[in-house]
Amino acid sequence: MAGRDGDFKLIRAARLIDGSGAPPIERGAVLLEGGRIRASGPEETVAPPEGARVKEFSYDSHTALPGLIDSHVHLIGIGDGRAGDELTTLPDEVLTLQAARNARAHLYSGVTTVRDCGAKNRTTLELRQAVQMGITVAPRLVLAGRPIAIIGGHLSYFGIQATGPTECVAAVRQLVKENVDFIKITASGGSTRTSVRGRPSFDVDELTAIVNEAHKLGRHAAAHCTDSQSIANAVEAGIDTVIHGRYAEPDGSHKYRPELTERIVERGVFVNPTLHQARERVWQLERKAESEMLSEDEQDLIDQFYQGWESAAAFWGRMKDEGVKLVAGSDASWQHYKLGGTSFQDEITAHVDIGMTPMEAIVSATSDAARSCWIDDEVGSIEPGKKADLLVVEGDPSHDIRALTSVTDVFMDGERVDRGNLV
Amino acid sequence: MAGRLDSFTLIRAGLLIDGRGGPPLERAAVLVRGSSILAVGPEHEIAAPESAHAQTLDFSDRTVMPGMVDCHTHHNGFGDGRAGDDLAALSDETLTLQSARNARASLFTGVTTIRENGPKNATMLRLRDAVRQGVTVGPRMVLCGRPVSIIGGHMSYFGSVVTGPVEGRAMVRQLVKEGADYIKITATGGSTRTSYPLLPSFDVDELTAIAGEARKFGLLTAAHCTSTQGIVNSLDAGVDMIIHCIFREPDGRFDFKDDVADRLAERGAFVNPTLHVLRSRIWAALRNHGEAALTTAARRRMDEDERAFETAIEHTRRLIERGANVITGSDSSWGDYPLGNAVYETECLLMAGMPAMDAVMSVTSKAAKAIGVDETVGSIEPGKEADLIAVEGNPVENLDALWAVTDVMADGRLVERGSQESISATRQLRPASS
Repeated sequence: MAGRDGDFKLIRAARLIDGSGAPPIERGAVLLEGGRIRASGPEETVAPPEGARVKEFSYDSHTALPGLIDSHVHLIGIGDGRAGDELTTLPDEVLTLQAARNARAHLYSGVTTVRDCGAKNRTTLELRQAVQMGITVAPRLVLAGRPIAIIGGHLSYFGIQATGPTECVAAVRQLVKENVDFIKITASGGSTRTSVRGRPSFDVDELTAIVNEAHKLGRHAAAHCTDSQSIANAVEAGIDTVIHGRYAEPDGSHKYRPELTERIVERGVFVNPTLHQARERVWQLERKAESEMLSEDEQDLIDQFYQGWESAAAFWGRMKDEGVKLVAGSDASWQHYKLGGTSFQDEITAHVDIGMTPMEAIVSATSDAARSCWIDDEVGSIEPGKKADLLVVEGDPSHDIRALTSVTDVFMDGERVDRGNLV
Repeated sequence: MAGRLDSFTLIRAGLLIDGRGGPPLERAAVLVRGSSILAVGPEHEIAAPESAHAQTLDFSDRTVMPGMVDCHTHHNGFGDGRAGDDLAALSDETLTLQSARNARASLFTGVTTIRENGPKNATMLRLRDAVRQGVTVGPRMVLCGRPVSIIGGHMSYFGSVVTGPVEGRAMVRQLVKEGADYIKITATGGSTRTSYPLLPSFDVDELTAIAGEARKFGLLTAAHCTSTQGIVNSLDAGVDMIIHCIFREPDGRFDFKDDVADRLAERGAFVNPTLHVLRSRIWAALRNHGEAALTTAARRRMDEDERAFETAIEHTRRLIERGANVITGSDSSWGDYPLGNAVYETECLLMAGMPAMDAVMSVTSKAAKAIGVDETVGSIEPGKEADLIAVEGNPVENLDALWAVTDVMADGRLVERGSQESISATRQLRPASS
């Protein structure tokens, strides 16, 4: 329920991070009117109009920052390790209920906007309908509906397979008719059993058709790419965001391609590296190892992860240093990674672990994430006129990124979210 | 869940109402093992085995009683006055999400078992799947799948329309296949725009075929009856519960039939009078208009609603006097009556002269019996599932205690109910002038 015009809220915090990357403002304040931010800055510069009704919130040892934007979620996921091929056998009603549960849990964890990168049939669109009817609460939803895949391609079981530029254009038009916010393409294979890992899926003419149609109809496009060729294809087609994006050859080896990085930077393509997804499984196994013996496979998985982590971190550090805009997106609840709790904070932490400063990581999860989702005119930073989506955490995340996990309050649309509402 | 059988919970109760009708017991205790009740009695007689690790819940300043059983719900509904015809136009996904919300509202307000009386398509079956998979929480659910209707009949928009005894039998088989626990029939028209509330819908041979097929599978039946001939037809067909049970003639006259009431009582059929859903219309009108601003048409409608409510109370009084098995079934979220407010229906039964302890039993043990789950729930007895609630006050002295639920245990586990603010928001407010 959005706040109404004429209803003011004054939020004071020990520290204000506006999401732009500017240094924190000590003793800052944000003035909300209705569902929007009216003013922000040092406490003494922010005052409500005289005689206005104002509700005040004071956070003496806390930081206020923009509500987090998770640019990559799968709301229908269960996050218990089941494969997408299994997930998709559940009925749409059950998947929609799961999406509602995840959406609520993620909102309560401090995420006020999510971009859903692929769901079965109309499930996430149905969730949005229910949110608009007041049946359930959710972060702001930026939805792909169903991803566009090749026959048998990654996520093809969610409902759209297209072949050739004409069918691709038709798929985009169909999705736009259903009022999706962006187009998700699987430009390479993935975990889907019938897809071919490490190889591109669509050809460049198909990708180009999808991206052009999306742009024509005012939507951005994001592509799942798990190998270098598919990244090159997507970039050539004019893609807006590359997802995953680690350079890999068909044989699985990693070869850095400086010219590809240059093109990504030149064209201003965002990259959502989904850093924590694999590590989340490792963290779970490490917790399990505290009380029971791991199987050989499980131990192998941990060992392999750590063998690869350093080079992965070095790769992403280099991408960042060469000017690639990395945006945070968790990829939860895919595989073993559950939405809610501190899941998005764990992804943001991974951005620090590959060499970002805490402030850069916050930007990657707020204003840059908003830019990559084409919603930066509305959210992603604390500035007058933007939606009043705020997060209040204990401590100072610009020094210690883990402070983001100490969530005290979440504001969305100018209203404090009742994080205890389980109805 | 491994090890659950070794987990004991000792519940101390300032007052214990076991739901069976005996006098409340002061300073009592309930011992729960795993998901079920192991022992109940005076506090000093009940203890966990010495070697066992037992958790203690201290409700010594409260009343402990069985979780409530609501025999008549519509979990798809909103309770915001919208017609069923409009409700049915919503997508299955939307209706499932709304059902999940309603299920949580029921559970958090102390209702641990519901019998659902008519959702669209497979929405409630899917919700139950989701609860079993841990996606969401809800009360124990006794489901009809969909109500069985004639072409254009009441709730025919929910998806199960049949003509003739053969199709009737086939539909029962279909619903059983899908996982239905009982069969709901609309034996007269109702609020559905294409139906006739004052006229019967199915013929007796059709009702008999449906009820007989249900009985063959061990399933109970319940029939929606908003006029007298439908009640008579349903009794002829051997239906187990009469819903609404409105004594009304085709010309609209209310006319209580002693002989039909006596048959109901003799047969031991259960009666679910759905009184508060009628009162909810009046409350909604008062809220929406404020009495002064009523138009002539609205005033006339409210007069009719008031007459219908008063008549229903009076007829329920007579049914109770004649020994009919009257139980609590809210009919929410239908019409203007949102789920989470089952107590209002029990309150109406008190208004109709039901003794206070009977009223409590009408929403616990008798309700459980009416819907065929009395072997597992409805009372606090050894062997039953540990579905119970703690309330402030004594509901036998003042039924409003049932609004003051502080804790809900389902299957031996305390339910995480969230903020009080969010639970209070599910309450249907009594209009100031009522």
